[in-house]
Amino acid sequence: MHRAARVPRLALPAALVAVVLAVVAVVASTAFAAGDNTKAEGTLVVDTSFVVQTIDPQRMFEPTSQIAVKGMYDTLLTFRGQSTTPLPWLARSWKVSKDAKTFTFTLRRDAKFSDGTPLTSADVLFSYNRVINLKGSPSFLLAGVKVSAPTKYTVVLRSSTPNPALLRIVPNPSLGIVNSKVVKANGGTDALGGDKTDKAEPYLLSHSAGSGPYVLKSYNNKTEIVLEANPGFWGPKPTFQTVVIRNLPAPTQLLNVQRGSNEIALDLSAQQASTLRGKSNLKVITNASANLFNIDINTDPKISEVAANPHIQTAIRYALDYPSFVKLSGPGAVQAPGMIPTTFLGHLPPTARIKRNLPKARAEVKASGIPSPKITMYYPSELTINGISFATLAQKTKSNLAEVGIQVDLVGKPVNSFLETYAAGKHPMSQSYWGPDYPDPNDYLVFTPGGLAANRVNWGVAKDPKLAALAKQAQRTVSDTVRASRFRQIGRSMNQRAPFFPLFQPAQAIVSSSNLTNAVLGVIWPLDVRAVGTR
Amino acid sequence: MSSAPAVIPEEAVVRRRWTKGFFSQPLAVVGAAIAIGWLLVAIFAPLLAPYDPLAQDFPLTQAPSREHLFGTDELGRDVLSRVIYGARLSLPLAILLVALATALGSVLGALAGYFRSWVDPVVMRTTDLVFAFPAIILAMVVTASLGPNVRNAVLAIVIVAWPTYARVVRGLVLSLGDAEFVQASRLLGSSSRRTLLHDVLPNLAGPVVVLATLDLANAILLLAGLSFLGLGAQPPDPEWGSMVAVGTQYFQYWWMGTFPGLAIFTAVIAFNFLGDSLRDRLDPRGVSRGKHQGVA
Amino acid sequence: MPWPFFRFLGRRLAALVVLALGITFVAFVLTQLVPGDPALTALGPVTSADPEAVAAYHAHWGMDKPLPVQYLTYLWNLLHGDLGTSQLSHQPVLNDLQHAIPATMELAFLSIAFAIVVGVPLGVVAAIRQNRASDHALRVVSLAGISMPTFWLALLALYVFFFKLDWFPGGGRLDPGTTPPGQITGLYTVDAVLHGQWSLAWDALHHLILPALVLAAFNVSLITRYTRSAILEVINDDYVRAARAKGLPERVVVIRHVLRAALPSVVTVLGLVFANVLTGAVLVENIFAWPGIGQYAYQASIELDLPAIMGVSLFVAVVYVTVNFVVDVLYGVIDPRLRLT
Repeated sequence: MHRAARVPRLALPAALVAVVLAVVAVVASTAFAAGDNTKAEGTLVVDTSFVVQTIDPQRMFEPTSQIAVKGMYDTLLTFRGQSTTPLPWLARSWKVSKDAKTFTFTLRRDAKFSDGTPLTSADVLFSYNRVINLKGSPSFLLAGVKVSAPTKYTVVLRSSTPNPALLRIVPNPSLGIVNSKVVKANGGTDALGGDKTDKAEPYLLSHSAGSGPYVLKSYNNKTEIVLEANPGFWGPKPTFQTVVIRNLPAPTQLLNVQRGSNEIALDLSAQQASTLRGKSNLKVITNASANLFNIDINTDPKISEVAANPHIQTAIRYALDYPSFVKLSGPGAVQAPGMIPTTFLGHLPPTARIKRNLPKARAEVKASGIPSPKITMYYPSELTINGISFATLAQKTKSNLAEVGIQVDLVGKPVNSFLETYAAGKHPMSQSYWGPDYPDPNDYLVFTPGGLAANRVNWGVAKDPKLAALAKQAQRTVSDTVRASRFRQIGRSMNQRAPFFPLFQPAQAIVSSSNLTNAVLGVIWPLDVRAVGTR
Repeated sequence: MSSAPAVIPEEAVVRRRWTKGFFSQPLAVVGAAIAIGWLLVAIFAPLLAPYDPLAQDFPLTQAPSREHLFGTDELGRDVLSRVIYGARLSLPLAILLVALATALGSVLGALAGYFRSWVDPVVMRTTDLVFAFPAIILAMVVTASLGPNVRNAVLAIVIVAWPTYARVVRGLVLSLGDAEFVQASRLLGSSSRRTLLHDVLPNLAGPVVVLATLDLANAILLLAGLSFLGLGAQPPDPEWGSMVAVGTQYFQYWWMGTFPGLAIFTAVIAFNFLGDSLRDRLDPRGVSRGKHQGVA
Repeated sequence: MPWPFFRFLGRRLAALVVLALGITFVAFVLTQLVPGDPALTALGPVTSADPEAVAAYHAHWGMDKPLPVQYLTYLWNLLHGDLGTSQLSHQPVLNDLQHAIPATMELAFLSIAFAIVVGVPLGVVAAIRQNRASDHALRVVSLAGISMPTFWLALLALYVFFFKLDWFPGGGRLDPGTTPPGQITGLYTVDAVLHGQWSLAWDALHHLILPALVLAAFNVSLITRYTRSAILEVINDDYVRAARAKGLPERVVVIRHVLRAALPSVVTVLGLVFANVLTGAVLVENIFAWPGIGQYAYQASIELDLPAIMGVSLFVAVVYVTVNFVVDVLYGVIDPRLRLT
């Protein structure tokens, strides 16, 4: 090995120096170039962590798809900002029959699709029937509804039961109107059996066929969706020529939004967003979201004797440290007074909130007669909503209940397998949440006995017939004042005995460059890109 | 192995050969010191940790301070205590799964090398199949299918790790099978089992120990990688990889991810220092190459 | 070409087919073990409560047939070049892979290039300075390199070079809203150059550097160590001594004789390096929002998207066999004494 000493001393160090120099050169030149890293004027960048399966309006029901579809397709009615009052859009006016079963919409006559074809009632008929017959995620929106188009500019919806919520369902982007001629020409159909025969999805993933201010430029469900202004848009022109909806994980969003201009970050938790307050180039808006985080407990003793014990249920209700959950979610979050979010008709006043009461909870545990109660709680492991991970909430729950002597074993499952056992009513306890499908209390009847969510905890009509009857009555009530009081009555009894523990409504944060206006979260869709402007 | 007392002296001979002068290497000493340090931390975690690693008693996301040297996390837990308790998870699990992989791989490899007939192709084709996947993709599919938890993560890593041992051991057995002393023992009428136990196995110990030490490092990395992806340890367990993952959600609170990451790094480098020094003893030019594939 | 070469090729192809069959089977069985029903997440909480909608979904994705039939159907379609349709993206898996594979390849190539360019010279230095300070230092550094959790390194790199220094962009393949170059190879840098779009090529390269460097860290260490030991193996061989005896300058001896003799061993490690890059890609792509095969595989496993999982597995197997094949052929080219077997 001594011979190694004879290697000329220059050759290899020289090679090494060359390599180092090359690396330095590359790094230095990139640093230089980073300076003129400017975007084309008129491009709005929306950073979000993608939840998107499709942008075929009549198949989609995911938040990211809603942003894109809302920009490309128009609906009969719409909401502005956080308001839940339906406003005219494609429909100039509408009439609702006294029994809330028949809805007649009169369309405006100047609306046209991006290819210049006028938008008529035939397109509405086609779009709505396509939603119903594709049997996809949004099909439940029009359950029990029959659509007809008596004249070129009139559309009539007939519901088999009184459906006072329908006016708040119609603004859903999944009920956006497509150009029926174009979609038909590309394999689309609105006929019965469309779930098997409709072939238009591939077309709608590469082209848009709407009447909105934007058309699709490119779609990639992993990276970005690019929209471009529709030059022939019938309504007021949008501010931005191009909108890029870009897939980025939340931590990167946090960094990016501080760098760019004309940029919006959608998925930061209020806690993350609060660290950005006071930066002059950023605007942070937090609203109480209509999403509601809760815990479900199973009422079937065959699933869990402990969970189904009413004393244990009451104990949990009073053992949860609600303010600490609210704190976890960050500034702007509120404790949920009941299962109906505070922005919707029929919600409970803040005074109805449950207050933590440890002595009472401990007494209830004792009263249950179960020596050391143990419950398994399931949660969707990789799910994060409004920047709050279910894993974090589940850990808080476990620690809260340990204080009153209830041991919680946590089991995290991927959303798919979580939903399977959850829907089958097999979870003794779950960390759960409900996001509104439409901003109406009727969407929350799922929590009353025999409802969809109640069935997941085996809370059938027989377990509380009185409440079930009340719920049925509320569903069919037409007058808003009467509805509100009925839903409040239901909410109060649920806060005493329902197997659901409403925790909080998180603050939804939206962080944008400070030159942007109207970058606000919608009630149903995360963001309405057509409304965003500049100062 | 332990059931055959005659093996012990021979093993000891082998061991003396490769441990001689081992601790005169500074790298080995440093590696051993860190590794022993982490093992002690794992054993005495309750005494060392200033707070309960699960207690959500403190203000959320506090920067490092005198009360909380590593700060607090998103639920108001003490990060230092969690890092300390993390050693209790990562180290024993890594040791367990390397032991399992070593046992499984060595036995199958020895069988394949010794009874060449049909055992060999079956074992070798299976190792091919496993090697055809990058470790983490296979482990990911296995844990995602069986459900994400520590047990399945360990199982997945064992499935990924055993073929390395099988290949190395088979190769050694094949070369030893032709060695004169083994042929001699066969000619003398020893049973297969006796030949395997007395003549072949002791000579495998050295390479397998080197491989296992280096694999401990890889096991810690892979386990942390799976937990980082949410497929390993589940909350509220203070696992290092999942702590880094939570840290990535709270970028601005750098202490949440940096300290558990440092813990992984130091634990891994300790075993790499040790394994590398061991290999040096056995094979100074570093000629033998098992497929010790780095992971995370 | 001599016919043993074709026999060699044929054997490798046969091995590939067997491997592919095995892999589809294993992937299929594994994903069937899972209790989850993709219909539930795909349809959302309300619609999935409607058995008719769930049945329609199952029928649409062929999930209503018995398992053996599903598997055979898959194989049959595979023979016709159809990898099925991803339940996540609603697009043909082949289509998804066509986008994801070049993204990862671009990352992998640059990262491996970095690793070779830095690792081989460092290995040479370590070998000829064996047991001296620089050798020891390189050893410690390279051991540190393979001990660094890639996901942690990625995070630190992003924090320092993007957040604090702003030298590199924070993820993705191009600046937002930039139209990718027309697909020729799928490697954005190459395609942009081929189209003469220089600023676009620069944009792509700029996005590529940080994740590629992070991915390279591990492999630099690996290559350094392999090069070192390969050179030590040959540095005292007779022909090297002979070369020295002829009075050739040491530089020529090292480059022409030592490095050349050590090359086959260095080439072997490339197979390993490639596997490492794919592995690291799963974690790095996640953090850098890089739409490659790693992220695709992760999403597919989390959401139990069977056709996608099978597609990724098959791709990986093909790569594995191909890389080993290329390594073996390179062996023959570099050192004709080694026979193909």
